[in-house]
Amino acid sequence: MEKKLGVYICECGPNIAEKIDIDKVIDAVSSLDDVAVVDRYKLLCSMDGKKFLEEQIKKQGITHLVVAACSPKQHEQTFMEVCINAGINPYLFQLANIREQCAWVTEDKDEATKKAIILVKAAIRRVRYHVSLEKKEIDSNPDVLVIGGGIAGIESSLLLASSDRMVYLVEKTSSLGGLITSYEKTFPSMVSSSDIIKQKIQDVDKNENIKVFTDSEVEESLGFFGNFQVKLKKTTEENEVVEFNVGAIVLATGSTLFDPDRIPQYGYGKIDNVITSLEFEKMNLSGRISLKNNKTPKSVAIIHCVGRDEVGYCSEICCMYSLKFVRYIKDKLPDVKVTNFYSDLCIPGKSDQKFYEETKGKDVNFIRANDIEITKQGDRINVKYKNENNKKSLPIDMVILSPAVEPTSDTFKLAELTGISQGDKGFFSEEHEKLAPISTSTEGVYIVGCAQGPKNISETVVQAGAATGKILSSLVPGRKIEPEVKTSQISESFCIGCKTCISVCSYGAITFDEARKIAVVNEVICRGCGNCVGACPSGAANIKHFTFNQIYQELMEAVK
Amino acid sequence: MNKPEGSLKNKGAIISAKPSTKESIDDFLKKAMDKGVFDAVLIPMMVPAGDSFAYVLIEDKSLLKDAIPLPPIMSVQGGHAVSSVTRLGKGSMKIAVIMRPCEIRAAIELSKLGQTDLENVTLISIDCPGVLPISDFLSDPGKGMKQFDEAAKKWDDKIMRPVCQICDKSSMVAGDLHIGTLGAKNNTFLVISNSQKGNGILDELGIVTKESIDDWQAKVKNIAEEKHKKRKKNLKDLKTKIGSLDNLIDAFSQCINCHNCMRVCPVCYCRLCYFDSDKVKHPSENYLQMAESKGSIRFLPDTIFFQMGRMMHMSLSCVSCGACEDACPVSIPVAQIFSMVADETQGLFDYVSGRSLEEPIPLVAYKEEELHEVEDAND
Repeated sequence: MEKKLGVYICECGPNIAEKIDIDKVIDAVSSLDDVAVVDRYKLLCSMDGKKFLEEQIKKQGITHLVVAACSPKQHEQTFMEVCINAGINPYLFQLANIREQCAWVTEDKDEATKKAIILVKAAIRRVRYHVSLEKKEIDSNPDVLVIGGGIAGIESSLLLASSDRMVYLVEKTSSLGGLITSYEKTFPSMVSSSDIIKQKIQDVDKNENIKVFTDSEVEESLGFFGNFQVKLKKTTEENEVVEFNVGAIVLATGSTLFDPDRIPQYGYGKIDNVITSLEFEKMNLSGRISLKNNKTPKSVAIIHCVGRDEVGYCSEICCMYSLKFVRYIKDKLPDVKVTNFYSDLCIPGKSDQKFYEETKGKDVNFIRANDIEITKQGDRINVKYKNENNKKSLPIDMVILSPAVEPTSDTFKLAELTGISQGDKGFFSEEHEKLAPISTSTEGVYIVGCAQGPKNISETVVQAGAATGKILSSLVPGRKIEPEVKTSQISESFCIGCKTCISVCSYGAITFDEARKIAVVNEVICRGCGNCVGACPSGAANIKHFTFNQIYQELMEAVK
Repeated sequence: MNKPEGSLKNKGAIISAKPSTKESIDDFLKKAMDKGVFDAVLIPMMVPAGDSFAYVLIEDKSLLKDAIPLPPIMSVQGGHAVSSVTRLGKGSMKIAVIMRPCEIRAAIELSKLGQTDLENVTLISIDCPGVLPISDFLSDPGKGMKQFDEAAKKWDDKIMRPVCQICDKSSMVAGDLHIGTLGAKNNTFLVISNSQKGNGILDELGIVTKESIDDWQAKVKNIAEEKHKKRKKNLKDLKTKIGSLDNLIDAFSQCINCHNCMRVCPVCYCRLCYFDSDKVKHPSENYLQMAESKGSIRFLPDTIFFQMGRMMHMSLSCVSCGACEDACPVSIPVAQIFSMVADETQGLFDYVSGRSLEEPIPLVAYKEEELHEVEDAND
């Protein structure tokens, strides 16, 4: 069929019209091969503009469309829809970015015009090599995989499970509940932790739409939003692998504590009765606070901010649980002297201040200190510290360290599995700190709770609700999803079967055909990222719509 | 190849059985076949006409006496031969392959590229004195044979191919076993193991490696250093001659587009060369466009594009074996040019082609911090 190219230049109000000599651009491209129409319009993305474009395509019999306007990020989709409405394939279209890349980068109108001409010519040359691509639809899977059986995972599972949505809740250890099960009470209301968590675990057990896998780890997750293929491995029975499909994944893997062993001056692991906060929680839960020799301590020091400088952030929750520890101690042993060593107190929120003041009133010392060093002094412990530049020391019976909150050890593995990134502190990275704190760079993968950063229980529960909301509104049972159209294609005649592409594919979209000794792309899973194209040693891999020839033609025109 | 634990390459065994080194090697292989350590041996042999050599897969051990472990020419690159045998999988046969170090290295590169399965293959390298240019040899095979033997005995490389004269890896131990003949006395040879597979084979043969290899190593080092110096100098000179696109085009100006260099290259791994495919057959309007932008266009097209495309594909795996230069009918110093580029591209990644099976090819070994030296200085 004969090609009839339509080239339309958007003035973008004054954005392009004032910075680029559009008439000059029109002159420069009008006589190019196959160019049937070149025209300008004041705002092509407006309702009127889209109508104009649609009518032009129909009236002029345009087969290939070039629009010179803004960034494809902004309006490529808009003009592709115009193509569909006008009855031409949306991939027989190319957008030349003459706003961000020309009008906005220089004050020099001549230079901007010169570059705009080059970009429009390159787009015209490229579009002539475009081919029609067809969209496909597949069913989305509404089920959800929740990784981590602590409060974050449990809350998410309970909110998500329904008669038309199965939840697979995977827990690494042998039981659900997570860290909360070690706590007697939660701050600031000092209600019983077991009351909170036991009820929720029972609800999970009763819910037939939640399938719980304890002693299990996720081994593989391939695919994308609406279509993840998941493999679990039972850690107790050998080789037992469970496979299922889900549409979304919630990462609720919680956190662990900074190992105080890394700072020798705290004496952890070497001096008796120097314990971590979690060890103290467990001791307190057992009903009796005692020293190693079984005697009752007469004095207790709580050291805040352990490892804060090392990890490089405030862990938000340690001050509050340290205050809770004061309450535990004063409830059980009212005569014990309790001293808090802190470098900064973090007591935010509407109810925490009251909790702090009430705790402070119970005959408790708060000392702002640095350079803390803990040494053994006979049967007791000596806490040396610096306060307002004075060196001081305090003999004490028991020291509780409140270490920083850190990501768990499997964060790296899970980040790799799900294709999301980790921030410099090692926690999973959210998509956007403020605007998208629950979602991640991989569509359909969400983070809830301390896996994203230190958080208290109520914040975690809020996040579970937020992630659930996101999933419920986007992963609707019965809704179709459209796999990527611009997928990789591996040429059978060029492929040498070296499997290099398989090793670099982030989505597990490439398999090896043993009979033909070539790599084969699963187009439903491929996201068109191009890793295989870059790594393929023989040039067999190509991305549709970004073929070597299309890029070559565009480049050759641009550098002519 | 799993590195053997304990002392690596520090000890060897001296094998001596027969009146000549060649017969000692035959005997070693024959014993290994007797014991079932190998089912077959892939080794060069003279063709019946007596004027060339080919790799032969020997199953009948009585034929080993006709094998020529070090033929005077490289008519077939051994890496190619190994990959032909195992391209479609390893098979059940245990095969020993006797090849020059550059051929062993090509086999290792091909294995990384999935073009050969070395699981049941034992790679045995042998000290290489170089080979004659094929055209020199073919002009008088009898004379060539004699000349090669004499030169090889004295380790004199003056009549060898130019790329052999600057080869600093002519005794590189990269496979499972290595046969050291440099400085070997009284028709013996030194066998060195370089892998667990190699260790296992020597164990099965009851060979204990307790001899010092210091003398051999010292000789290897001497030769390698001397050749390395010459390599640096020659390739530097070559670079000043062809170091710009115009000069490079000049260097290949006599190219007749026969693609022989690609066909004989052991690591030119593509099943179908892009430049032999329909992808480079453009509609005439494209050629017109090209002619329009440059004023004219040469036919057949893509001469320099082919060379540069080949360079991009295989320079990271190039083993400087020289097969391309031997195959060039118009005597372009292809191997020297490719060696020069290979030294630089491999150097960028601290990579030596065929040095080790464990070293991943640089294209898949992504590092966050690398290649800053080739980044745009303005970034």
